[in-house]
Amino acid sequence: MIRLQNIEKSYRHGLSQTFVLRRVNAEIKQGDFVSIMGPSGAGKSTLLHILGMHDSAWTGEYWLHDDPIHQLSAKDRMRLQKQHIGFVFQSYHLLDNLTVYENIDLPLSYRDVKKAEREGMVADILDRFNIVGKKDLFPNQLSGGQQQLVAIARAVVAKPSLILADEPTGNLHSDQGKEIMELFRRLNDAGTTIVQVTHSKENASYGKRVINLKDGWIVDEN
Amino acid sequence: MNASAQPLIRLDGIKKVFYTDEVETHALAGIHLEIQQGEYVAIAGPSGCGKSTLLAILGLLDTATEGTYLLNGNQVAKLSLSERARVRNREIGFIFQSFNLIGDLTVFENVELPLIYRGMKAAERRERANAALERVGMAHRAKHLPSQLSGGQQQRVAVARAVAGQPSILLADEPTGNLDSKNGEAVMELLRELHRGGATICMVTHDPRYAAHADRGVHLFDGRVVEENVGTAV
Amino acid sequence: MLVQDIRYALRSLLRAPGFTVVALITLALGIGGTTAIFSIVDGVLLRPLPYSDPGRILRINRIGANGGLDSFSAADYRDLKKAATSFAAIAGYRSDIVDMTGRGEPVRINGMQTTAAFFDVFDAAPLLGRTYHEATDKPGANLAVINETVWKQQFGSNPAVIGTQVRLNGTPTEIIGVVPEFLRHPQKSDVWMLSPYDIPTSPFGMGDIDGSRDVHYFNVVARIARGRPLIEGQQQLKSIGDQIARDHQGNAGSTFGGEPLASSMVANVRTAMFVLLGAVGFVLLIACANVAGLLIARGAARRRELAVRTALGAGRGRLMRQLLTESVVLALVGGAPGMLVATWTQQLLISLAPENLPRLADVTLDWRIAFFAVVATIVVGILFGITPALQSSRPELNADLKDGGRTGTARTGLRNVMVVAQVALALVLLIGAGLMLTSFSRLRSVDPGFRVTEVVTVELMLPLARFNDEQQRNFYMSVLDRLQANPVTANSAMLFPFPFGGANAQASLDVIGQPDRPPEQQVSAELNSISPGYLKASGIRLLRGRDFDANDGPKSPAAALISESAIKEFGGKDPIGQQLDMGDPITIVGIVSDARRRSLDAEPRPALYLPYTQFVLPYMGVVVRSDRGAAAVASAVKTAVAQIDPDLPIGDVKTMEQIIEESTGEPRFRSFLIASFAVLALLLAAVGVYGVISFTVTQRVPEIGVRLALGASPRQVFTQVIGQGLKLAATGVVLGLVAAAAATTLVRGLLFNTSATDPVVYGSLAALLLAMAALACYVPARRAMRVDPMTALRSE
Repeated sequence: MIRLQNIEKSYRHGLSQTFVLRRVNAEIKQGDFVSIMGPSGAGKSTLLHILGMHDSAWTGEYWLHDDPIHQLSAKDRMRLQKQHIGFVFQSYHLLDNLTVYENIDLPLSYRDVKKAEREGMVADILDRFNIVGKKDLFPNQLSGGQQQLVAIARAVVAKPSLILADEPTGNLHSDQGKEIMELFRRLNDAGTTIVQVTHSKENASYGKRVINLKDGWIVDEN
Repeated sequence: MNASAQPLIRLDGIKKVFYTDEVETHALAGIHLEIQQGEYVAIAGPSGCGKSTLLAILGLLDTATEGTYLLNGNQVAKLSLSERARVRNREIGFIFQSFNLIGDLTVFENVELPLIYRGMKAAERRERANAALERVGMAHRAKHLPSQLSGGQQQRVAVARAVAGQPSILLADEPTGNLDSKNGEAVMELLRELHRGGATICMVTHDPRYAAHADRGVHLFDGRVVEENVGTAV
Repeated sequence: MLVQDIRYALRSLLRAPGFTVVALITLALGIGGTTAIFSIVDGVLLRPLPYSDPGRILRINRIGANGGLDSFSAADYRDLKKAATSFAAIAGYRSDIVDMTGRGEPVRINGMQTTAAFFDVFDAAPLLGRTYHEATDKPGANLAVINETVWKQQFGSNPAVIGTQVRLNGTPTEIIGVVPEFLRHPQKSDVWMLSPYDIPTSPFGMGDIDGSRDVHYFNVVARIARGRPLIEGQQQLKSIGDQIARDHQGNAGSTFGGEPLASSMVANVRTAMFVLLGAVGFVLLIACANVAGLLIARGAARRRELAVRTALGAGRGRLMRQLLTESVVLALVGGAPGMLVATWTQQLLISLAPENLPRLADVTLDWRIAFFAVVATIVVGILFGITPALQSSRPELNADLKDGGRTGTARTGLRNVMVVAQVALALVLLIGAGLMLTSFSRLRSVDPGFRVTEVVTVELMLPLARFNDEQQRNFYMSVLDRLQANPVTANSAMLFPFPFGGANAQASLDVIGQPDRPPEQQVSAELNSISPGYLKASGIRLLRGRDFDANDGPKSPAAALISESAIKEFGGKDPIGQQLDMGDPITIVGIVSDARRRSLDAEPRPALYLPYTQFVLPYMGVVVRSDRGAAAVASAVKTAVAQIDPDLPIGDVKTMEQIIEESTGEPRFRSFLIASFAVLALLLAAVGVYGVISFTVTQRVPEIGVRLALGASPRQVFTQVIGQGLKLAATGVVLGLVAAAAATTLVRGLLFNTSATDPVVYGSLAALLLAMAALACYVPARRAMRVDPMTALRSE
């Protein structure tokens, strides 16, 4: 599904050049559940944002399915991102001005899905995540765990084949974290490919394999 | 270490509760902790365990919902807003994960800042700031802006800023969190060196390797101390 | 989809009430104020007159040897009319009061006696009947045209009015037409009467005036022939005038000139109007800068939101559409109260405007300009509203998500520029206003040279048709006798002209026995006709010689008083006993103190006082020194007049205080307007400073957290924020001072006794602005003091 070849990213600080990612090669198969681990500053989040096409300042080759992302225009990347990817952030990033329902509806509205169809899809997700009762609340009326639940609902509503999650439990209590990880496992069982960045070995244990990064290098893969 | 001496810091039953509309979250659920003069303590634990909250309370940046905090034998809770500012300025040196240098100020001005807040004379400030920069090996970059430095260099400047005022205790919040391992190692070495020079340090980290640098490790989980052990280093 | 965008836009405005309120106030004041004042400027200055080809209508002036404008004499007018070929029509006219009788109650209205071509020049279609024209109507036909208002009020809008006979000043006249209300140029008139001659009749009687070149008493308007350029007509006027000056000694040095009527009507207020227009422009600029600043701040604060939306798949076009919708919704929501403010402001301005502001009646709320102001703010809104969308380039996305939009020093910079500009512009306006107000207060404190308090004036004009010279004199003398016998009006006198009334008479000061002066060095003196007792009633002091008394009758030797400032014209000799050449020799019998006659800001000129029995005009009035009030005086005068001529109404009754008040109406109005703009600008600038500082504080919460963690006391943080605001304001103030020094040279001509670079005005207003800025920083500074230092630690 994903093939990375020689991905590199660096920043310049005055005269010195700092590499954030160095010669990263990796392959992720359909239905995989990968945890990217490593100490802070190892380049985990950067790699995730490159996968999510939020970042375009890198070199190397990135194949998603059979599309060469590294050769595509911003517009085409945008199209593929919409088609394939859902994103979950550590700090949820729900829009404060929108209700739970509207937050979940947002990605669909950007995908030109017909209104009736959208209503069905959102209602379906609200059911599956058991948050129907909260659909008219605003994010600041929810606990952190509930906000992350909504954020994941938002990430999956457009039925992406790949979910990218950046420390999804980082701001949560341990039992709330467990719930979220269980949810990921169920999504994965249902066929969604998941890549998460995490510090926690426990979280990583929900996944099928781990990519360890250190100082921008992949140090081992299992 | 003289155990009968008054500890620099003493926490008794510290609790911190956050309230949102529907839930109350116990970030800290009754912490007991003593830190002696000259000690190097590491607070470790997974994300969300409350370690940053604890550090904020130690640094007088936040107040506990419950419990007592004695700094040098004084009840912190009784201090007024401006007294707290004064204590922070004189007794505490902060080192943050994201460096938190002020972008508009030069390296030298950043280091000088806490001394200005103290009302120190310009000549003495210059002397102390330069000495601090010398200590972290950044004196040659005094006139540069933070954006011209790498992360490791910025953190060294932040350390210089923390020690310039000769505080009683250094509080470090994941000081290596935003650094690669080489630079992280260098900053840890710098802290160890300061410790050997007599500084009291309390560091938050979730990296067990760095925690091992300290005299003592305190492990938090869901707002409680679950384990204390004496490190091997020193 | 659009409906949803609009719904989100409204909601996001509701959820940011601070931003919304400030933006709406700014928009309402900016759009409303600009629209209202521009409508006035447009009505007075810019809008063409409501006639066909209004640019072809000229006022023709006789330009004297000393460059001053003068009225026409009969002979000059006839020569002009004969020689001018570039004109389709030339008409003379003279304003008069008209007593309309023959239909019950006598009515006094304002009228105009014109030559036959008047309606060829002002070619308005009549509502009813017809107007008179040179081609069809000959002098002496006794025709009149009335205006819409008179038709409604006096004739009950009866269409049968056409063909009716009325008596106008005693002459039986046929009403042939009714013209619409808009025909009120060159000045408002109720009735237009065809002159019995080829020139308007003279108030001095037609006997020796017909054919004279020396008696100037009427005005001339003309319409340039189709296809002839303006400049050709103007050149022809000049060459005709020059030729007459060569042919006739009395015209030496004079010539003719033509000026488009619209601009000649407003010549006196043109500078003031353009200054006001400039002020409006400034306010609109400030408002735009303010909105721009607000949107920049909002854009910066929303970077995280935009980044999230992008991460969820919103394309740049989608984001732009959303921001655009918000900007337009904001501008429209702000535009509605703006229109309300415009309507109110305009009503307020018109009610405050002095009546003598020319063309005031042409002012209507101009929807084009309202539209312009709304569009201007929308464009500004869009420009700055969509910037964040344009800037949401992809490599930054990660950073935006991480730091929640805390970065963006560049945009703080742009916003700072907006604030500095606002402060500078506001200071220019403030200084302009300060100078105007200083000037105005100095004007009001000028001593006019005569008594202002407890003096009542009553106009007593006589219709020429009923009163010849002898009758006029007898009338005024008997009225005065009766008044002086009444204890209420014991201290009273006759006078022509009233000070500051616009009427005046002049004569050149030729001392018999002194060599003739060349035309350009001739000194003219203000002519006054007074009765004995005038000096006492008006508080003018007799310095030497004697006052007039009952012995200065029509048959006694001609006598005159001169004012102090005329003494220097006598070449060092004692003026008393000297004689002046005024056709007949006049002997100077006394010297009196100077008084201002034309306006408060004009220095007293040499003045000549003649006894009212010897220099009689049908335009005299009574000046009464009395502490009984205007009403008591008016009724005493009315009684006295009625006893002599029951058909004669009395004219305007005014206290001298009112006269002074009215004479300063225009500068007062102008100062008031500029001051209002300045206050508006000050408020907007304060809002701007508040906005940027408040925004900076929000943006710098983490930095402030760091500072607090390092031990900055709340007080130090407070001072820092105030200092930051003051630094911006001070930059704006310095720029504003420089700009004001450059810009106020434009208003120098409007200032009385006030330097355009008055350091007191500059200094105090700069201080005021800084104080406002400090005040505007106070709230955000308090907020900065209370920042929770914990935020410094919450790096993620």
